[in-house]
Amino acid sequence: MRHYENLVIVKPTLTQEEIENTIAAIEDVLTSNGAEITARDKMGIRKLAYPIQKNERGYFHVMYYTAKPSVIGEIERRFRINEAILRFATIKYDSKREIAAWDKLVQKANTINKSTPVQASSAEEVVVEETIVTAPETVVEEVVVQETPIQE
Amino acid sequence: MAERRKYKKRYCKYCEAKVDFIDYKDVASLRFSLSERYKIMPRRLTGNCKRHQDMISVVIKRARAVALVPYTVTRKTVVTAPFENLR
Repeated sequence: MRHYENLVIVKPTLTQEEIENTIAAIEDVLTSNGAEITARDKMGIRKLAYPIQKNERGYFHVMYYTAKPSVIGEIERRFRINEAILRFATIKYDSKREIAAWDKLVQKANTINKSTPVQASSAEEVVVEETIVTAPETVVEEVVVQETPIQE
Repeated sequence: MAERRKYKKRYCKYCEAKVDFIDYKDVASLRFSLSERYKIMPRRLTGNCKRHQDMISVVIKRARAVALVPYTVTRKTVVTAPFENLR
């Protein structure tokens, strides 16, 4: 078993339920292939640095899991078939140092999820506000970053 | 020849902070090694050591692939480019 991380960008044009369903389907792909998901990190809807398929935003979701190396090909094949996924990235944590970093990331993700459960419905509104109001946002963000770096 | 030196002596900021691993999702930590146009800054300007520069370059390329950091910023894209969530 090796340590992996998968970041998935889901289309933002879907409704909240559809996004949740696709994420459930994605996690089902992982678990059905014998992967154990240890942590999830919902980054929520955020602006993309460049448009992908004419989408300016995307719903980011990160999963940390352990799986056999042979399974990854199948998982990626299933991701490519799914049209709701704009982009995905699989990252392998191989060396001792990387695995230690993986453990840290998992801990961080778990503590964030427990302390502040992400409300996706409110997150959408926040993003809209941020795009309009740019000046005070930088000040606010600096404070936020120290507590929850991924929340933005 | 200490008087002739024009620039400050450079050192690796990542070594000083004892960074072992850089997360590609943490865009704020990558900002130091990116230029205004989001190119990867060369080692001779930032003073990064070889080891950390290699780490950084891999991590920045990952972040670009998942649209956390733009590949290029030109005059055309600079208007629409989302700077707010990159800082």
